[in-house]
Amino acid sequence: MNRLTLFGLSIALLAASFQCALGLGAISVDFAQVWHALLMYDSADLSHRVIVELRLPRAILAFLAGSGLAMAGLILQTVTRNPLADPYLFGVSSGASFGVVLLFALTGVQAGLALSGAAFLGSLLAMSALIVVARSQSSQQVESMLLAGVALSFLFSAATSLILYWSDPQAISAIVFWTLGSFSRADWQTLWLPALVVCMSLFCMLLFRRALNALLLGDESATTLGINVTKLRLSMLLLSSLLTAVLVAMCGGVGFVGLMVPHIVRFFISQASFSGLFITALSGGIFMLWVDIAARSVLNNQELPVGVITAAIGSVFFLSLLVLRNRSAAQI
Amino acid sequence: MNQTTDTSPILTVENLSLRISQTDILSGVNFEVKVGQFVGLLGPNGAGKSSLLRCIYRYCAPTDGRIMLFGKPIDTYSRQEYAKHVAVVLQEVPEQFNLAVFDVIAMGLTPHKPLFSSTSKEDKSNIEAVLDRVGLLHKAKQVFSSLSGGEKQRAMIARAMLQKPSLLIMDEPTSHLDVRYQIQIMELAKSLGVCVLASFHDLNLAGAMSDHLLVLKNGQLQAQGEPNTVLSSGLLSDVFGVCADVSHVPIANDDQTMVPHIRYHYGYVR
Repeated sequence: MNRLTLFGLSIALLAASFQCALGLGAISVDFAQVWHALLMYDSADLSHRVIVELRLPRAILAFLAGSGLAMAGLILQTVTRNPLADPYLFGVSSGASFGVVLLFALTGVQAGLALSGAAFLGSLLAMSALIVVARSQSSQQVESMLLAGVALSFLFSAATSLILYWSDPQAISAIVFWTLGSFSRADWQTLWLPALVVCMSLFCMLLFRRALNALLLGDESATTLGINVTKLRLSMLLLSSLLTAVLVAMCGGVGFVGLMVPHIVRFFISQASFSGLFITALSGGIFMLWVDIAARSVLNNQELPVGVITAAIGSVFFLSLLVLRNRSAAQI
Repeated sequence: MNQTTDTSPILTVENLSLRISQTDILSGVNFEVKVGQFVGLLGPNGAGKSSLLRCIYRYCAPTDGRIMLFGKPIDTYSRQEYAKHVAVVLQEVPEQFNLAVFDVIAMGLTPHKPLFSSTSKEDKSNIEAVLDRVGLLHKAKQVFSSLSGGEKQRAMIARAMLQKPSLLIMDEPTSHLDVRYQIQIMELAKSLGVCVLASFHDLNLAGAMSDHLLVLKNGQLQAQGEPNTVLSSGLLSDVFGVCADVSHVPIANDDQTMVPHIRYHYGYVR
């Protein structure tokens, strides 16, 4: 497909998705009213308040989370040249969850910057351990990183389970609800942090696009193209851990997006191009907007956990794409 | 196969040594690559060929000695600057991620493009020119992993050419290729008009293609010089431990140019 067509299609889809995300829900609001609320906000009107104060920040957070996780996945897959890499595989998410659960259990804090801080410290802990293990063997850096990531992921999950085991039932239900993922904590006061981190990551990814692409050739070849491979890999790992940490802190555990979205986009457009990276981020966001719409509207008067839907829709969609692709390959 | 060459060296390697975990990988290696030369690097497995090339393309730092490019020590060049002078074709190829051939070739632009810059129309026509040069223009949009072994190698050479180097380093560029592709790849490398330093396993191919040969054994340079003089049964028995006769034969379509031809007698030197 032509790149411009894909780009136009994604933007149109994004606009339509935002429109639906703002209009659909317990109170259905029509197209014109959504625009009216956005352009001429009247705080006395209930539907306006629902749209601007509840649905808009929530939709923006969902979009940011989707784009951010898709980018984190793309970065990790690129720097490790492993198509199965995602924040969950490297223990970054488990580290972030560990930080948040520890803070929950110790202080009872369930929102705010402290949560992001705890998630970031947790993921930084995981990332530092990963780097210490991977640094010692530069020739097999990728392999040791992957193995260390899996081990760390289990280690942090074990620690998190232990905290849950010792916590009181009320804290356990709060923690479990949090780990299933939700965008309901979105509000205008805290939205700047994920927005800043996601925009910064997109900027860095576009800035270092060529160097990231060159990593796909292999470490030695990338070095011969003038790239400081170790430095690039470590800074990109830090960037993806920052992204994951902030998003995990805001939305809880939302798995599978980082792994799946870059793969789906790769079926249609090469990730090596400027538009490929942009469309990956955009598609992640659009996907998550629809996941949130589904979470709010599948069951009456009840919200489904976002993490459950991403995993369910994602895996089925991904499997069907794989089957379709295998069929078309068999026809050739 | 000798060409009239300028005598000034592009690359000078002086007393180069590399030691990794108390083991001498290379010791006291000295040689030069002159303008227009095609230099073949030979040696048995583990002789230090790849390590020597790695030192030259700055993936390994030598323990001792120095390497100079255009008379300047290579560590005085910035990474990007060095990549504009020296391009490298290795065995590594990107098999995953559905990359198009065009995108893989475009990676050769990396040292020439500032951060954030997009691929201009001029870059695109340069990419098409190198693709045409290696006969892969019609496959530009194909997925890289769908190419055959020979096509992949040609694409990697095209990617290296886009770097516009003065020196092209190739580490066993013809491994896993059938004999037709081996000759095709070598002819292509020779026709590019840049200095080439390539390691080989096929001694006949190296002898026929190179202007100058370097023979490594246990990290030390055993012999160097023109192929017709370097490749002898004595050297083959010393370095590779094989019994062989070396004759001199003309190349196809040119009775005047003689190249060494090795005939092995199976069995080992006692």
